[in-house]
Formats: sequence, C-alpha cells, structure tokens
Amino acid sequence: MNTSYILRRLFYGLLLMLGVVVLNFLLIRLAPGDPAVVIAGEMGGATEEMLESIREEYGLNKPVLTQLGIYIANVAQFDLGESFFFNQPVTTLIGHRIGPTILLVITAQLLSIVLGVFLGVIAARKPNGPMSAFVSVFATIGYAVPVFWTGIMLIILFASVVPIFPVEGMQSVKLRDAGFFVKALDVLHHLILPAFTLAIIYLAQYARLSRASMLEVLGSDYIRTARAKGASEGSVLFKHALRNAALPILTVAGLQFGNLISGALLVETVFNWPGMGRLAFDSILRRDYPTIMGVLFFASFMVVVANILTDLSYRLADPRLRGR
Amino acid sequence: MSDQSVTEFKAESPALEAWRMFRRNIPAVIGVIMLMVIVGATLYGTFLYGGDPFEIVWAPHEPPGVTPEFPLGTDYLGRNIVAGMLTGGGPTLAVGLAAAALTMVIGISLGALAGYYGGWVDNLLMRITEFFQVLPALLFAMVLVTLLSPSLWTIALAIGVVSWPQTARLTRAEFLKIKELEYVTAARAIGARNKRIIWKVILPNAAPPLIVSATLTIGVAILFEAGLSFLGLGDPNVMSWGLMIGANREYILDAWWPVTFPGLAIFFTVFAVSLIGDGLNDAFNPKLRER
Amino acid sequence: MKHMTRLLGAVSLAVTSLAAPVFADGGTLVIASTQVPRHLNGAVQSGIATAVPSTQIFASPLRYDENWEPQPYLAESWEVSEDGLSVTLNLVQNATFHDGKPVTSEDVAFSIMTTKENHPFKSMFAPVDTIETPDAHTAVIKLSQPHPALLLALSPALAPVLPKHVFGDGQDAKSHPANSAPVGSGPFMLEEFTPGEAVVMKKNPNFFIDGRPKLDEIIIRIIKDPSALLIAMENGEADMYPFMAGSQEIKRLEKAEHLGVTTDGYAAVGPINWLAFNTASEKLSDVRVRQAIAYAVDREFITKALHRGVSAPQRGPIIESSPFFDESIPSYDVDLDKAKALMAEAGFADGMDLTIDYIPGPKEQQQSLAEYMKSQLKKIGINVTVRAAPDFPTWAGRVGGHDFELSMDVVFNWGDPVIGVHRTYLSSNIRQGVIWSNTQQYANEKVDEILNAAAVEADPAKRKALYAEFQQMVAADLPIYWINALPYHTAYDKKLQNVPTGIWGTMHPMDQVSWSE
Repeated sequence: MNTSYILRRLFYGLLLMLGVVVLNFLLIRLAPGDPAVVIAGEMGGATEEMLESIREEYGLNKPVLTQLGIYIANVAQFDLGESFFFNQPVTTLIGHRIGPTILLVITAQLLSIVLGVFLGVIAARKPNGPMSAFVSVFATIGYAVPVFWTGIMLIILFASVVPIFPVEGMQSVKLRDAGFFVKALDVLHHLILPAFTLAIIYLAQYARLSRASMLEVLGSDYIRTARAKGASEGSVLFKHALRNAALPILTVAGLQFGNLISGALLVETVFNWPGMGRLAFDSILRRDYPTIMGVLFFASFMVVVANILTDLSYRLADPRLRGR
Repeated sequence: MSDQSVTEFKAESPALEAWRMFRRNIPAVIGVIMLMVIVGATLYGTFLYGGDPFEIVWAPHEPPGVTPEFPLGTDYLGRNIVAGMLTGGGPTLAVGLAAAALTMVIGISLGALAGYYGGWVDNLLMRITEFFQVLPALLFAMVLVTLLSPSLWTIALAIGVVSWPQTARLTRAEFLKIKELEYVTAARAIGARNKRIIWKVILPNAAPPLIVSATLTIGVAILFEAGLSFLGLGDPNVMSWGLMIGANREYILDAWWPVTFPGLAIFFTVFAVSLIGDGLNDAFNPKLRER
Repeated sequence: MKHMTRLLGAVSLAVTSLAAPVFADGGTLVIASTQVPRHLNGAVQSGIATAVPSTQIFASPLRYDENWEPQPYLAESWEVSEDGLSVTLNLVQNATFHDGKPVTSEDVAFSIMTTKENHPFKSMFAPVDTIETPDAHTAVIKLSQPHPALLLALSPALAPVLPKHVFGDGQDAKSHPANSAPVGSGPFMLEEFTPGEAVVMKKNPNFFIDGRPKLDEIIIRIIKDPSALLIAMENGEADMYPFMAGSQEIKRLEKAEHLGVTTDGYAAVGPINWLAFNTASEKLSDVRVRQAIAYAVDREFITKALHRGVSAPQRGPIIESSPFFDESIPSYDVDLDKAKALMAEAGFADGMDLTIDYIPGPKEQQQSLAEYMKSQLKKIGINVTVRAAPDFPTWAGRVGGHDFELSMDVVFNWGDPVIGVHRTYLSSNIRQGVIWSNTQQYANEKVDEILNAAAVEADPAKRKALYAEFQQMVAADLPIYWINALPYHTAYDKKLQNVPTGIWGTMHPMDQVSWSE
C-alpha cells in the first residue's frame, strides 16, 4: 500500500465532509419558519427589536453565501456554533455524547460480527443441515424485526419478568463515587441490552453473508487441496476458508457502519442511552438547528473514518489490491 | 418485467425456469402466502372499517381476549387495536412500496449510467453515491421529514432519497459485468444505440439481482417508515403500524398488547417479503440451482 | 450463551453489592425528571425544568410554607410601607456565595432588576422602579404602584439572587455563560451539568442556615422515556419523581411498596389544562358558539374516565385550590340539546368545520383530549380536524401567530394571579408572535379595568372580590374553556424525610430533606 493512495483516500474523505457541511447548511436554509422566532420562542417571546438582535447575534441577517462561508470556516476549526436551546457550544454537547455512541456502536458491531460469523461458519459446514436452516431462518427473522420493537420487547421482559439487566441509561447514578473498575462493570452491565438489540439485525446479516461466502470458498479447489492434504475440519473451516471469506465480511462491516449509527439512534431512544442519536432526536423536536447540523456532521465524520479504515484494511488483507 | 426482451437474446426463458425453482422453494411459497394474507387483510380491513381507526370506542387498555368486540384489546385512548391493525397496514405498505419504487428508479438510473459509460460519468456518480452513503440514513431521513413536514408522501420521498445508493452500486456492478459480455458487444456491433443497449439489452439481464434487491428494499422501507413513526415523525393523521407502536410505547409496562401486535404485523410483513426475496435469489442464482 | 448469562448475573450481583455502602450518611437524592432544562438560571428562564435546580443553587429573599405564608430566607425580616409603594428587605449577615464572596443588598438589587428585564413574566416586577441599597444588608424596593404580588414574586422559583460580580460583567443575561455554570448562595452547589442528561449538585458546606442542608448531594437525572423513568423509580435508581401527571404512572407507582405518592407541593404552580378559542376568528367570535362547545364537552368524563380520576376539574381561570378561586362561577355541565340550540341560534344549525391544535406534551392531557373533542363535538355538528404539531416551536408558532381556531394548552398560575393569570386575559397583552400572551385575542374593557384594579389592591378581601367579579365575567365570555388542573403528583422513596410539599414543591430549596436510617 503506498502513501499516495492513502493521501488520495484522505482527500476524498475531506471532500465528502465538505459536501456534508454544504448539505447541512442548505437543509437548514430550507427549514420553514424564521430561526430567530424559534430562538425567541424558547426565550419566552420577543419583540421585533429582540428578533433583530437575535438575527445579528446568530448572523442570520447576512447574505446566504457569506453565512455559508462563515459556517465552513468555523467548522474547519471544529466550531459548530452554539446550540439554540442550551446556549452552549455544539461541540461541547456532542463531546458529552459521542463516547457512549461509539461504545454502543462498536460493541454492537463486534458482537454481531463475531456471533454472526460463528453461526455462518457452522451453518456452512452442512449447507442442508438443521443448523444451516436455523441460520437462514434466524437471519431472516433478525432482519425483519423492527429494532425498536425488539428493544421494547426486551424492556418488557427484563423490566418485570427477569430483572437481571438494567433497561435504561448507561450507568447507575448511585455508583458515581465508586472506583473505576466498578463503574466499568456497571457500564458493561447497562450496555448488554442495547448492544444486543442493535447487534441482532446485523448479526443475522453477517451470519447469512458468511454462510454464503463460506459456501463459495468451500467449493473451491483451494479448500479441496487443503482437505486432501488432511487438514482437520476445524482448521479448514476457521483457518483456510474463513480467511478467504473475510473480505466480503469486512466490506459489509464498513458499509454497515452508517446503518449502525441509524440503528443506534432508535436503540438510544428506547434504552435512554445518553448518546448522539438521542441528542439528534431531541434537537429535531426542538428545532435546534446548530445541534442537528453538528450531529449530522459528526455522524458522517464517523462513517467517513470507518470507510477509510475499511478501505485500507481491505487493501492490507487482499494482496491483489496492494499494488494499486 | 419484460419477458420478450429477455427471450430476444436467449433461447430458453430463464424466467420460467426461475419460477419453477421458486415454486419448489417452500419458505418462499410460505412468504407469498403470508404476504397475500396480510395484503388481503389490509385491503379487506380498510373496507371493513370504513370508519375511523382513531375513534375512541371503549375503555382504555382493555386487554386482548376479554371483550369479544375487541379481540386484540384497546389502546391507551380506548381505540380498537384490530381496527388499527387492519387500517394501519395500508399506509405502511403503501409507503414501503412507494419508497422502494423511488429507491429503485433513482438507484437503477444512476447505477446504469455509471456502470455503462464508465469514465468521468462513473466517477462523478459514484462520488455522489458515496456521499449519500456517508450520511446516516435514518438521521438524514428524520431531518428531511421534519423540514418537509410529515405526511405519507414526504416520508416515502425521504426514505427513497436516503436508500438508493446500495441499489446504484448493485446496478453498476451488474452493468460492469454484463457490458463486457458477447451479446452486448454483438448488439453494439449491429449498431444498437446506447439507450437501447442500456434499457433493452443490459437491464433485462441484470434484472434478477435487481428484482431481489427491490424486494428486500420494500422490507427496508417498511422498517424505515415504522422507525420514523415510532419516533413520532410519521404522519400523525394517518393510522399506521409504526404510529401505533410510537403512540403506545409510553405505556408498555402496563399494556404490552398495543405495541406487540403492530410490531408483529410489521415483522411478519417484512419477514414474508424477505422470504420471497430469498426465494427469488435462490431461483435466479444458477449456482445454487445445481444443489 | 448460557455461560454468558451466568457471568453477567455474577457481574450484576457484584455491582449491586458494591453499590450498597455508597448511600450511607448524608446521602444522595436522585430526582428523576422528564423535563430538560436549557440552563440553571431561574432569573432569566421560566419553567419547572430550570426552577428545580435553580432553587437549590440560588437562594432568594423569601421562601414560603404550606399555607402561603412568607418565611425569612436571605431576608431575615421585611416591611411593606403604609402606602404600599416601598418594601424593605433586611438581609441576613452571614450569607455567602459558593465562591466565598458575601451576599449583599447590591446583589439583591442587581438580581431583581435583571429578572425584571429578562424574565418572561413581565408582570412580576413591572412596578419596580428602583432598588435602594442604604447599606450592605438593606434593600429597599421602590414601586410605581402598590404591588401585592411582589412578596410572592420574591420566592425562590421567581427571584433567585445572583452574584453581581459574576453576572454583572456586561454580558447579556439570557445567554450568559454562567447560566450553565451558576454560582449562587443556596444550599447546594453545582458540581456538573450535562445538558439533556443530568445536573449534579453537592452540599454547600457554608450555607447560611446552620445544620442545613442535610443531604450530601442531589442529582437530577433526565429520563425522557416515561417507562424507563418508571423502572428507575421502581428499582431505586431514582428516589423522587416530581411533576408526574400520567394516570398510568401515578397508579403504577402508587403500587410500589417503597414509594409514597402525594399531590401536595403544587398549590402555587396552578397548572390549568384548557381549550383556547381564537375569539378573533369569524366562527368563534360568537360567544354562543363557544358556549355550545363548552356544553358539549364533558369535564366529568375527562377527569373521571380519560384521566382515571387522578385530575381535578377546573372551572375557571384561577386554579381551584387558590384562595382567589370563586366557587360560584358557571360550570357548563354537559348538555347536548342546549349546545345544539346555541349553535342554531348562532346561525350554525348545519354545523361547521374547525381545527384543533394541542401543545406537544403529556398525551393524556393533550392529544387524548383533542381526539376526545373531535368525537364529542361531532355530536353537535362540529367537524373537527386535529392538527398535530410535531414539536413545540411549530405549535407555538401557530398559536402565537394567531393561526389557530381551537387549541389545547397548559398554562400555570404561578402563585399570584398577577403573575400567571392576567397575561391571558388583558387586552393590552394581545401580542402577535408571543406564546402564552393573550393569544385568544380576548378584549373586554371591563375585565381590563378589574384586573388592573386587582393588581394594585392591597386589601386581601377587596382583592378577592375583584377577582371573583373577573372570574364571573370571563366565565360568561368564555375566551377559554377550562378543563382540569394538571394532576401533578410527586412520587418519593418513603425513607425520605421532609419531602418538599410546600406551595412550590420541588421548586424550593430542599435543605431539610434527608434520609432516615
């Protein structure tokens, strides 16, 4: 892998982010209603002079292009403006929320890949066996269940029937003064249901995908050779075949990242998880435009980073692409 | 799908063969039956409950199976859940179909152009596609729906606008593969115009995976609509399954039924659709056919 | 999978057992709330979300007991002059802000003037002309007219005393950075404020009242999902849940053995749920149409059936639990024949089409009632379309912009009618674009006269008589059909002592609240 490829990839990433910034800006301009009135409404009503001073303060009275220029320049310095609602920098607000979202999304991603691939590989061993059928059915079910509904059902189950997992929030406030280890365990404990809920959809997809690509790989000469050489079944499956099936899984994992964030939005809402998704949702209801723009920006940023990483690791994994 | 165009270039009808395969696929047939039942119930239900599913007809939170008139119970306002289930399916399905159609139209058009012409057209279109894939779909759709104010059509539009990239990529990949095949070169040699080659030669041959993808897109779109309604961004004046879940979720600890039943309805619909999609996939996929 | 569950079970056990010693002496009070505060400065922001933390962080000149009687707080004593035009506050000597600086009359004067300029309740301090500070511990409030509501406006929820050396730096008070990181002189100090998530407040060790506060810490946790909130209350993750208004929630938490539920603590809030008429619209300008609607709607059904008996009927503009409420006003008991007759008289025998909006809020209070109105008004030939607003700004834009016909709304009395009632009915307060002004565009000169007289009337009995007359008049004119008092309840852990049940409830310093053994 050469540096110029990486640079080019980074440049594309930057370009994409610029696109996101411009789009954000345009979307907000499209918003019906005068943002100044919205802000004033939150403050408890306003006179025309007050509206004028709000417009002044937020730069709402300048020409659109100037506003766009200011906005891009500010974003370049990671200044996403102030929340209309909280009167605090959007970056501060997101700073509080980005950690929990990343924790949730990454955990769900790992959970779904590990469990999904495991199920897929087992199923691929006997394409017509009961395990295979189970994976197919499970995959279809996992895909077809609305994620928020799964969450609600789990809450009903774990809130009253078997109360072994906490069903809301990220940590117990009563453990605020506890040591790091206890707190970490507590967060983990809270993480189980949301992460599992989010993982179910993708788990199913990975199972299906790895089953399919394993079937393809298992039929290849390469595996026949390995088998002929007397490699054990486990080694054939997990070492030889899986390595070759890993590429499509990796690709999908990269592509799924954006969807995971979307899913996280619903899961965060259901489980009261203090992440970016909930901030976005609340901000949309409040018409807190700077915050909405900020979350869209950061969420897209996460996707771009994930895509670049996927691309690069893809190249590392696939020797044929290394030279390009 | 135009069968004639397919037969134009191939002696045997693969569609017919696929249909034979599909028929033998038990899960797929189950999917078709399930979907027919659901669509039938929805159509019949809308007809049966010409009245207002929003109407308060009974005490709130009547559990299912207690009063014969309300076999699935009532919701937090005392509205009949059966009425909601029957009338709420129509909008959900309609949005799903419309959004999937829009997704396919945008995705296929852009993907076909990119794959066929290659070069800068491909480059540009793929950059745009990438751009749309970077935006978290649900978040983007929420913003769009809020800006356009929620109604069935704005929801379908928003879903379509955020979900086409995958279709575009798939179409492009198919086009890249097929355009190098002999019959395309042949068509070009006899002087067929680009437009004709794209729509009449390549597209029909790229159809199988696209049909599968379209089927699955319907499922995704239905889930999307449900998610938006659940968040309270659905059309508040139209009863839909997602709206029922969203409206009743505050009360899940006391009444599980108003949320559970519409959730099951969504699940079974998407399940049926994806069984059909899988069936089509198997039927179209020659490799699996050997097995 | 099995192993995992077992492991997790073990983890959960470990976590719970480790949790036990943490809430021993002093202790933490976790308050659950669905309301999101924008910031924590009650001097420039109304609403319960800000008032609860603001009253812990900031002290105020006076505080109130359960019987509407003012009690000393930062002011150890106070006098109102004979003519009612000046109020003298004698401040305690030993009060300091959390940063160690003393609380002086300068701070009091600055705070009241800041509140007067920036708080949305203009009528609270409108008659305040100047505040004199003859010495560091005496403040004299000079009024342009007698203002009997002033003493109530000096409550913790409405008159937080801000440190002038922090807020007086020339920055706009509404968007002052210190609003999110306030320094006050109240019983608790801000430790951490995570917008939309939590407010953590620690005990103020130098609080000017000896031996208080009892608690070490108060945490306000924002949980927007009602079921998640209920679970947190049930499993002890949260200890108190004020401003609970859903019948499901109330009934459910009443069943929890370790929890108590009370309706006390909301007397001064006076939250009225009502149906507002746009009296300037052609169809609703006829009082007979408004009366017909009042006769068609069944207040008893709403409170008994839809709210399952948790909310109380409300017949007039002043909350029924207030001493100013007039028992004799007409209640418009349901009478469909009369309603139809009134419609016919008004020339609408064939019915009419109307739209109804509702403030996005507790469903049971708003959307449910809008849906109920729709099905009920159909019976007198009114075809109602429900215009749901996806968010508060949309609704506020419509109603504030006078672009509505019927609208459901919740408006608080805020203790004294001058603060929370006048704004709705004074014709001088018809202000386009301002929500919670006289958006009904109701104008009655006589009503204006009475209200203006009541605002300056120092004699309680005469004042009460003026308000009685006012209530009779608006009940006849019906710019609004009042439905019910919002059924605010507080759920609390029974081990808590001195749960705040005064007129301001939790919008009051919780310096006496403690845990029993």
